Amino acid sequence: MQSLNLLLLLPLLSAAIIVLFLRRSKWLGAILSTASAAACFAVAVSILLGDSANSVFKSSLALFALGDFTFNVGLFYDSLTANMIFVVCGVGLLIHVYSIGYMDDDPAKGRFFAGMSFFMFSMTGIVLASNLFMMFVYWELVGFCSYALIAHYADTEVAREASKKAFIVNRVGDFGFLLGIIFCYATFGTTDFCELASIFWSFPDKASTFMGLLILCGFLGKSAQFPLQVWLSDAMAGPTPVSALIHAATMVAAGVFMMTRLSHIGFLTGEVLAVVLILCSLMAFCAGLWALGQNDIKKILAYSTLAHLGMMGAGIGLGAGLAMFHLTTHAFFKATLFLVAGSIIHACHHQQDIFKMGGIFKRMPVTSIVALVATLSIIAVPFFAGNYSKEAILATAFAKASQTGSALYDTAFALLICAAFLTPVYMGRLFFNVFLGRPHSKEAEEASESGLFMTVPLVILSVYSLGGAWGFVGGFSWLDGKFSGLLPAASTSFVGSFLAENAQYIHKAAGYDVFEWVALLVTLAGIAFACLVYGRAGGSDPVEGKMPALYKVLNKHGWFDDLYDWYVAKVQQRIAIFLATFADLFFIELLCVRGSGIVGAVVGQGVKKLHDCSANSQVKWMVAGVVLVFVLIFA
Amino acid sequence: MDTSFDITLNTAVYAPFAFAIIIAVLWKAIGSKTAAAIAALSSGVSFVSALAACWGFYKLGSNMAMFAPAEQLYMLPQLCLSGVSAPMLFLAATVSLAATIYSLSLDIKNAKLYFVLLLVMQGGLCGAFTSANVLWMYMFHEFALVPTFIAMVIWGSAGKRMAAMQMAIYLTLGALVSLVGIIAVYAVTGAAGFNMEAISAAVVSKPVSQYWQYYIFAMLMFGLGTLVSLFPFYTWAPRTYACAPTAFAMLHAGVLKKFGLFMLIQFAIPVLPLGCADWSHTMAVLALFNVIYIGFVTMAQRDVKLMVSYSSVGHMGMCFLGLATMSVLGVGGAIIMMFGHGLSVALMLMLSNIVVNRTNQWDMMKMGGLYKRTPVLAGFFIAGTMATVGLPMFANFWGELAILTSLWSFSPAICALGATGLIFSAVYGLRAVARIFMGVPSGELSKNISSIADISGAERVAASVLVAVLILAGTCPGLITKPADVLLKSFPAYNQGK
Repeated sequence: MQSLNLLLLLPLLSAAIIVLFLRRSKWLGAILSTASAAACFAVAVSILLGDSANSVFKSSLALFALGDFTFNVGLFYDSLTANMIFVVCGVGLLIHVYSIGYMDDDPAKGRFFAGMSFFMFSMTGIVLASNLFMMFVYWELVGFCSYALIAHYADTEVAREASKKAFIVNRVGDFGFLLGIIFCYATFGTTDFCELASIFWSFPDKASTFMGLLILCGFLGKSAQFPLQVWLSDAMAGPTPVSALIHAATMVAAGVFMMTRLSHIGFLTGEVLAVVLILCSLMAFCAGLWALGQNDIKKILAYSTLAHLGMMGAGIGLGAGLAMFHLTTHAFFKATLFLVAGSIIHACHHQQDIFKMGGIFKRMPVTSIVALVATLSIIAVPFFAGNYSKEAILATAFAKASQTGSALYDTAFALLICAAFLTPVYMGRLFFNVFLGRPHSKEAEEASESGLFMTVPLVILSVYSLGGAWGFVGGFSWLDGKFSGLLPAASTSFVGSFLAENAQYIHKAAGYDVFEWVALLVTLAGIAFACLVYGRAGGSDPVEGKMPALYKVLNKHGWFDDLYDWYVAKVQQRIAIFLATFADLFFIELLCVRGSGIVGAVVGQGVKKLHDCSANSQVKWMVAGVVLVFVLIFA
Repeated sequence: MDTSFDITLNTAVYAPFAFAIIIAVLWKAIGSKTAAAIAALSSGVSFVSALAACWGFYKLGSNMAMFAPAEQLYMLPQLCLSGVSAPMLFLAATVSLAATIYSLSLDIKNAKLYFVLLLVMQGGLCGAFTSANVLWMYMFHEFALVPTFIAMVIWGSAGKRMAAMQMAIYLTLGALVSLVGIIAVYAVTGAAGFNMEAISAAVVSKPVSQYWQYYIFAMLMFGLGTLVSLFPFYTWAPRTYACAPTAFAMLHAGVLKKFGLFMLIQFAIPVLPLGCADWSHTMAVLALFNVIYIGFVTMAQRDVKLMVSYSSVGHMGMCFLGLATMSVLGVGGAIIMMFGHGLSVALMLMLSNIVVNRTNQWDMMKMGGLYKRTPVLAGFFIAGTMATVGLPMFANFWGELAILTSLWSFSPAICALGATGLIFSAVYGLRAVARIFMGVPSGELSKNISSIADISGAERVAASVLVAVLILAGTCPGLITKPADVLLKSFPAYNQGK
């Protein structure tokens, strides 16, 4: 288990070497970074297949102490960690390999790969953190990586604004997160997960809703949920592998991971879970709609990520294992979809408009088949990974709604069903326009299949998009039970044991057999709807043509950006300028500081006038002085 | 303590004075290049000695005395190290080294005078934090202050006279008020001298009455607060840093400004704990103005140097918040913050001056796209910004974390308001990075962008020194907190709160 340290050290070392020595290298940086990712994956797999893979491990080292406060740098490994570490290291490695192909013509490869390595370090840190303070440290570091990598094409206006926005919006969430952590420390004297677990498992009443809501802010920022979702779609300004790794598969899921961790130890009260459930279900629905108003392939996928993060959030509200299950399958199929998008963008010379593509299936067959698999997975076609995790969430929502009869679960279930209908609609819109029909631009006509560096990771990921969930549900174990499905058994135990328990609960719900058919029908209806509306692939959005008002509503994604832009430009900046000019320059600087100087000068001038050194005035002053002395003595 | 400690500590403080005298004596015989070389040598010697002295002190671990005195050198003032003065001495030596190295890259008129003043200032800074005697601390502080004023008048940029005048009046007044406070403490306690240990002993045997504590602490808080740009006595700071020659601004903003906080932590609060308790809420509210009000004002700045200067005023609010808690954690956090901020603001002042010199432009709105021409400069600038923003792995983060954590027990509302500083610094810091380095060059700049060169050798070394120490303290904050913890725990004043 000591090799867990390697998971942190290797990528950190790689990042440091690249920053210091290999900034301008053509390939060395890329090779070093990928090698460190590969080594990390090997270490992770060796841990996950090792003898102590199912044990709980904890280490701790005091970084500094002041008074009663000790800051511990600790590692913590349990079945939840095992699940996440496989996703992070596995997807991370594949995306590193893919990046070698994708970034081949980029002049700043050193910077890019240093960022990727540093990201792997920080992300692993979040997964292995043993206390909330430590998690916050890595939380900030992944935020920085995200910022630096979004800004990769820093000479473009979009990248410059998007990187700044991502960091600042995350900071707003982290503000609440940090206060929540400090509140936790002030209340319990610790933020260590094990110690908190022992407190909450013996005294569940000690959990505080307010504390949970503060911590929730961190989740809302990092996982881009209401009302802090605005940064994620803009973050697509970064290179596509970054979008795949950071803004789809891992970093944005860190919020879900953190909430799962806390919910698992009993940190989150029922009220907090209800808030998460409703906010996130709403996001799952709204983001699905907004995806229909985008033409940029990456933005469509970004809104789809928002929707699926919402679905994971709903999973947190329903039962922590569900969120992790969907997180895992989503990491596979969404990473695949982003890498497919990257492959196409790379082949189409950075054309990103889906209505300017078309006919890709004939020109890029491997990429297209991979895309088809991932699409079937995301729209939850039976036997594909996405189906299992999404249906588990829907079924639990349904069971809770039918058993408790509370309006909360009814609403959440309704929203999630709508979201499940919308997924095939926007994915169909994307798939038909990109892959079928005829090319709608010169770039699309010239597209050709990408190289092996890009296609091999794609194919591997597509296998996981298909079968990534089997190990969680079916118990397909092999190699002496060390593997379960396509994943190491240790990585599936957290979700697997949860699902086994949950299944009994779900099956007891009245009308469950009907629900199963409804869920399938909703997916089929979505596909049919997509065929009907978008099936023609005519090089433009039929909704935009026939119902421009509706399209505009979808396109504006809830006017959140306009609202925040208005706030920044018209409120915040005006307050700043008012304070800087009126309060700072005029009142304090001019009136108070210079003013007191002027008063001093005027008094000085006045006093100077009184002393004109003539004999006459001196006599006058002397007499006045004598009078004053007498008055003082006798009065 | 052993002889090596005596030698290194005395060398760290007196070497710059000695080398300044050497340059002055050889005035006619040497050229400006030689003077620069002597200054660089002096900063190097002082840095290495300070490092050795601090390491010698740190090695003592929990056996550290409150004050570790070094043997007196002839008639010179006696020096000693404590848990607060050790990090401050190292900060002073590091920033001095960086400022001197940076000065080597500049073309300075009357360079001999410049380096003499720079060395006197460095000696003054090192002495101010290590003197065993409170009056001598004050004198060393003046040794550091006067060169700033002279340098501003000679080498300053536009608006220097007004700025220099304002700074001189403010800081002299602030120092004067605190001097009265120091003398009052001496008078009231009837201590056997101005020696730090004598005063501590006197306070233990005969505590100052609450009545006197209240008034004397007020004098010290506002007097020393003025030196640290506590709201509303901050207006001298931004213009001073924008106008002063960069090396002096680095030393002033980075090191000298921390003197007020240092005196409060090591002298005023331990001696006058009841007075501090009476004033702590006022101090916290004023500090919140530094954080929030100055945060807004900083966001409105378009001049890159003014932006950095205002941000440094804002961050001082964070330190005062730590002091207001009167706890080991909060004050310890303030010490880390002082250390980290001293390095990061010096770095940012230097880099923003480089940016302004390269572009001939102070307005950030008229820059843009520099990163393609100056990738290394951009890298350092982002590192400096991230340190200011409080990214983990830089020292400032641990300071903010410790201060905010202790602040919750003081008052959750003040903690929440203080934490907004995290958002403010991200807004103006990243806005500056975006406007200067990202996007495409705008207006005038686009015409001569191709003539802009990346960071030069001396500049690169200076920036590397600062970033390296920032990261060292950011990854091993224990180096600062361990001595601080020992010292602060030994003051009863810091053990009342949580």
